[in-house]
Amino acid sequence: MYCINCGVKLSDNETKCPLCNTVVPIINDKKDDEKKLYPSNKMPKKTYYSKVLSGGIIILFLIPLVTTFFSDFNDNGYLDWFGYVFGALLVVYVAFALPIWFRKPNPVIFVPCSFLAVILYVFYINLVLGGNWFFTFALPVLGGICIITCTMVTLFRYLKKGRLFIIGGCVVAIGLLILLMEYLMTITFALPFRGWSIYPLITLSLLGGLLLYLAINKPAREIIERKIFF
Amino acid sequence: MKKQESNSLMWVRLDNAAKIYPAARKKNWSNVYRQSVTLYEEVDCSILKSALDVVVKRFPSIASKLRKGLFWYYLQQVENAPDIKEEYSYPLAYMSNNEMRKCAFRVIVYRNRIAVEFFHSLTDGAGALIFLKNLLAEYLELKYGITIPFEHGIVDRKATPTFEELEDCFPKYAGKVLASRKDTNAWHMYGAPQKDGFLNLTCFQLSVKQILDLAHSHGVTLTVFMSAVMMLALFNLQKEKEPNVKNRKLIKLLIPINLRTLFNSNTLRNFSMYTIPEINPRLGDYTLSEICNVIKHKMGSEFTAKHMSTVIATNVNDEKNPLVRLIPLPIKNLVMKAIFNSVGEKKACLSLSNLGKITIPQIMESYVKRFDFILGVQATQPYNCGMVTYKDTIYLNFIRDIKDPELERHFYLVLQSLGVEVYVESNQNER
Repeated sequence: MYCINCGVKLSDNETKCPLCNTVVPIINDKKDDEKKLYPSNKMPKKTYYSKVLSGGIIILFLIPLVTTFFSDFNDNGYLDWFGYVFGALLVVYVAFALPIWFRKPNPVIFVPCSFLAVILYVFYINLVLGGNWFFTFALPVLGGICIITCTMVTLFRYLKKGRLFIIGGCVVAIGLLILLMEYLMTITFALPFRGWSIYPLITLSLLGGLLLYLAINKPAREIIERKIFF
Repeated sequence: MKKQESNSLMWVRLDNAAKIYPAARKKNWSNVYRQSVTLYEEVDCSILKSALDVVVKRFPSIASKLRKGLFWYYLQQVENAPDIKEEYSYPLAYMSNNEMRKCAFRVIVYRNRIAVEFFHSLTDGAGALIFLKNLLAEYLELKYGITIPFEHGIVDRKATPTFEELEDCFPKYAGKVLASRKDTNAWHMYGAPQKDGFLNLTCFQLSVKQILDLAHSHGVTLTVFMSAVMMLALFNLQKEKEPNVKNRKLIKLLIPINLRTLFNSNTLRNFSMYTIPEINPRLGDYTLSEICNVIKHKMGSEFTAKHMSTVIATNVNDEKNPLVRLIPLPIKNLVMKAIFNSVGEKKACLSLSNLGKITIPQIMESYVKRFDFILGVQATQPYNCGMVTYKDTIYLNFIRDIKDPELERHFYLVLQSLGVEVYVESNQNER
């Protein structure tokens, strides 16, 4: 069957031409890798290490150090608050600039070193101010934070699995540390025990518990993963 | 790609190309396309359902539903095969969000025809064809008790899916150099809209031999030749509608390119790109040979692994951006939709997607009459066109959401002037 207008051959079922809309007279009765001496594309990984960068950072640290030294000496005729600036700069240097000197700084070593610097700095402040809060409050709290952080960093570095267990455990430990902190505050500063630390303890315990639950329960972990991947 | 435990359903992140489609959806438009096979005998729905039960387990990344995460959409394997649906009077009916949440593909049976309609995030045409061929093979084995060899895309349906099949290949083949995204806008076709979301389908059947002879006489491939015919039809249509040469806009045709052959990949996820040849009607009339040359050289320069890797890199680079990744999905959707609406479909008049020559094992041929490939209309352009070759016939399906078949008529007139025999059928049967 052909369209009488445009001449196209049409299906027998067409009632009008799909191209020109001309009505069709009813006639139808319904009708691989080669073995090479050396492997290819396997180059040693380049690490960019510069002593110039490390030296530059030292100069950056020396500028405020010298400036504050002379400023303090000019104002008072002797060194008064300069010790705090020196200590703070030393802590920042140990934590962030010292690792740059090494090709592969190991956080398992540098994180405890940084905490040690902080603890010594706080001990210095306690000595200068003549306080008696270091051994009963600052040392246990900072020590607790140091232990939790170092444990987390070490486990993260040397264990390939179980990250949810590690984070969950640490979150619960932080809750307990806050409780310890309030208790130590009441002892050290003779404050009444108000129990505010219970709230973060409950919140963090629930969060940590959830993470530990997810660590144990694989199907639940998969559901959460598919909902929040980015 | 993710994770299939022995007792749990697989889920996968959307591949790079698939990410735009869920965001670009509109109230009455979803990016769905259809592949169908017509048999010599009527289809037995109960046997087809049994075949579908087997095939959905074999192709978990295609037999999926679209789900929302906090930051991205993802595809989750369907628990059970969906029910076989009945055909409407037009193909590619709107696939609602609710439907996609349950299953992002449909299997529709109409007399001798098995049609599968896929949401484009699931896979591209080449991946969908593997799904359809295997569904057909399973059906024929169950119904006629024949044994079909594993060739021409037919795989062991009892086997577990391979890593290569489920892999998102875009990041793998992204180059280091980024391509430019600068592009000009194309002529926007227009016409009186069709009521009630009805889609007009016009299927052209052409002789492969006749078209190949003509293509070879112009020194080009079948795809290039048919694209040239389409561009000439578009040129003539614009000329008819816009007599003033100064007001004519660029004629651009989007030609999808299967990257599997270029990068030697077997993935069943989206892995295609496109090239957009163009002609400028302000420069005067074009001959078919001139247009063939424009397309041939455009495809020759762009259909290379080097060029495609730069285009892939540009797209992959965006999704790797940490800021983009951390934006919650609803906000991401708004931004992606705005980008899609402003630039997405202004770069071409329509797509002409050629699925190529379909081959199936010889034993299946006696049961199969024809294949069809139908694209959904674009969001803003009224036309689209899918092409497939089976045995000695080319099946070219135009779909449009406007009333008048102007482009089809011009397409036919070009073919007629070349002496090509054309057989036409459509879905408009009301008098």
